[in-house]
Amino acid sequence: MKIETREVKGQPLTVVIEYPEWSESVESLYKKIGRMDLSFTGKCDDRSVNIGISDIFYIENVERKLFLYTRDEVYRFDGTMADIENNMYDTGLVRISRTCIMNTDRLKEIRQIKNSHLEAVLDNDEKLIVSRKYLADIKKIFKRKAL
Amino acid sequence: MKRILRDTCILAALMILCVFTVSMIWVGMTDEIRLVICLFGLSFVISLANYFIDEYTTLPILKCYAVKYVSASGIVMLFGFIAGWFYKSNFWMAFIYVGIVLVMAYFVDAVRTRRDIEFINSKIKSKTVHVNK
Repeated sequence: MKIETREVKGQPLTVVIEYPEWSESVESLYKKIGRMDLSFTGKCDDRSVNIGISDIFYIENVERKLFLYTRDEVYRFDGTMADIENNMYDTGLVRISRTCIMNTDRLKEIRQIKNSHLEAVLDNDEKLIVSRKYLADIKKIFKRKAL
Repeated sequence: MKRILRDTCILAALMILCVFTVSMIWVGMTDEIRLVICLFGLSFVISLANYFIDEYTTLPILKCYAVKYVSASGIVMLFGFIAGWFYKSNFWMAFIYVGIVLVMAYFVDAVRTRRDIEFINSKIKSKTVHVNK
């Protein structure tokens, strides 16, 4: 597979897939790129904003309300954990506790802290508690990424 | 190897369940069949309790196993008294049975957790190296 990139100023990010014949691998690539473009609509100060999945650091359920956390902003999401879970297949999102979904693309490190709790450190140095039960799911994502 | 061992246990459980179900239909309820059904029921209740402990608590590993130990011992004792496995003089044996199983599970869990963390961190590191290149 040949990968080419070129800078085209003033245009939105465009991916063109050229293929000799439509096949399963082309379809898988097409779906994968499509999922990278997945976004959720968040609300902040009465304005609606489309937040790309790559900008989301984690999603938290606080008293039955969902919040999307980016590097510096927090947005309210009018949906359920199930809505997010239905869309997160083959993305970097993974559930890390009953109330939290983390973007593994923004994960810097996982560590076992003093009292044996597991802690995920994100790129912005924010720390999240990881349930041991979900560690295997995080591992699965990294295994899949390695393929 | 881990997968073979796991599949062996699942297959053995299915074989026991099938053999005893057929026996129950064929010869009716015997003490052995009752014991097997009780053990499956007991496993289900303990697994259910463990599921809720894992799902609704974020305890450190040792505290988590301590809670599981108390809950599993309680369930085993309750089941034991109902099924007539224990007498008042030897009910404490439930603590030993549960303790042995949980100590083994704890060590397996601790090693697996450490390995999973190392794996994930190594993948993050290699990704960072690629990006920096």
